[in-house]
Amino acid sequence: MNPTLNVTITEDQRDCYQEISNVAMGQAADLLARLLDVHVILPIPVVNLLEVNELRMALSGIESTDSVSGVCQGFIGNGISGEALLIFNDASFGDISKLLKYGGELDNSLELELLMDVANILIGACLRGIAEQLDVVFSQGHPIVLGQHVNLAELINANNYRWTKTLAVEINYKIEGFDINCDLLLLFTEEAIEALNTKINFLLDD
Amino acid sequence: MGTQSAEDFKEIHSLMGMLQNLDVGLVILDREYKIQLWNSFMESHSGLMPYQVRDKSLFEMFSEINEDWFRHKAESVFLLNNRAFTTWEQRPYLFKFKNYRPITGKAEFMYQNATIIPLGSADGRVERIGLIIYDVTDVAVNRVELKAANDELKRLSRTDRLTGLYNRGFWEECLGREFKRCKRTGSVSSMMIFDIDHFKKVNDEYGHPTGDEVIKAAAEALNISLRETDVAGRYGGEEYVVILVNTSAEQAMIYAERLRKLIEQTPVSHLNQTVNYTVSLGIAEINDDIASHEEWIEYADKALYRSKEGGRNQANVYS
Repeated sequence: MNPTLNVTITEDQRDCYQEISNVAMGQAADLLARLLDVHVILPIPVVNLLEVNELRMALSGIESTDSVSGVCQGFIGNGISGEALLIFNDASFGDISKLLKYGGELDNSLELELLMDVANILIGACLRGIAEQLDVVFSQGHPIVLGQHVNLAELINANNYRWTKTLAVEINYKIEGFDINCDLLLLFTEEAIEALNTKINFLLDD
Repeated sequence: MGTQSAEDFKEIHSLMGMLQNLDVGLVILDREYKIQLWNSFMESHSGLMPYQVRDKSLFEMFSEINEDWFRHKAESVFLLNNRAFTTWEQRPYLFKFKNYRPITGKAEFMYQNATIIPLGSADGRVERIGLIIYDVTDVAVNRVELKAANDELKRLSRTDRLTGLYNRGFWEECLGREFKRCKRTGSVSSMMIFDIDHFKKVNDEYGHPTGDEVIKAAAEALNISLRETDVAGRYGGEEYVVILVNTSAEQAMIYAERLRKLIEQTPVSHLNQTVNYTVSLGIAEINDDIASHEEWIEYADKALYRSKEGGRNQANVYS
């Protein structure tokens, strides 16, 4: 790891990331609302520069004792790379299944379908929203199932994270009138932060 | 034709050549799910030429594709202009192709990941979708095998070899969980401990192989009498333990008596010898005085001690 990397963000830059996330998140929520025909409660995205071992704290929307399922998906473009993590509280599956109008018994494989459907929408739309604003294009890798019915520590510790610092954007989605709780986390690598800051500074200069 | 457009044409020609040779499946579908493009990967694996599938419905040509499922995914791509991904973990394959390595490959068919991408027209509406099919057989087979190996390891690490019951370590974990559950929910469960009477004598008189048979027979009797929610383990040499979920001491006593009689009436035959044996049992119901699952075991152990003192081949409840 290159120790001279500039891995800090100023208050202005943080505000800017927050604003960009807000717009992207809104677009994703709009798609979700259109697909499910529901009202999505828009949260305020939380932007943090954190050590990877603090990742659990970043997932403030989910209790550490809850049973969760998660998928992650890598993205890269114009020197900006990272991963999107979607973590679902297992208690949400009942209501999600009703909304997505899947018939049949709620078993492991149906839950996986639901997880993937929501991941496709939220991750795809959020990344596109961010890419458009930054004027970059992201390639997306194939999503990977991190785990089903595990606790947060198992989900996160099972993966050996190699970066020390990451720019984390946490978006906690809730749906009005339903017991649905999911956390979308966009994690940018250390190298990406520098590239992002350069992009952001152009926006801030305007 | 000008030089520029000739160059352009050459480039498009090369590009098409690349696409045709790409070892990934490429399909384009129109709004009615009719096939518009079919690259050589698809052609080779399906055995169908592009002219044979062109303008044909995907679902009519490939009955293995679950129409409802695929439409569910694809419609969101048409509607939302958003990519969708499906993994082999959801469905092993979209198209039922044979394994690329028919001789050395371990799977019969090709595991596939698929990406569905929106292909827009100039006015921003999605009129076609592109389907990209990846062969992920090796990854999938490795993952499935790893999971099977891990599951087996997990099972082995929990199981007592001789009896097939849970071993002491795992059983105690279960008791710890049940203890916490009872404390949290206020429900009442009991635990039971029992051992084989005068087991040392069985070993001395009939030999260790017969002794092992007796240990197995007691475990079997236990297994037969077990209800689905009960958790049984081998605690030590000739000691057994059971968690009786949502069971009062009174109900546990009925269970214990049934098991005691079953064992008393079922002699063990081994190497032309018949061994009659009995067991002594102790029961403890959870209560507010019990502060840990270890203490719970101690209470049941005290009841077992009373059964021993009382002349063996009997059950007692801690009180």
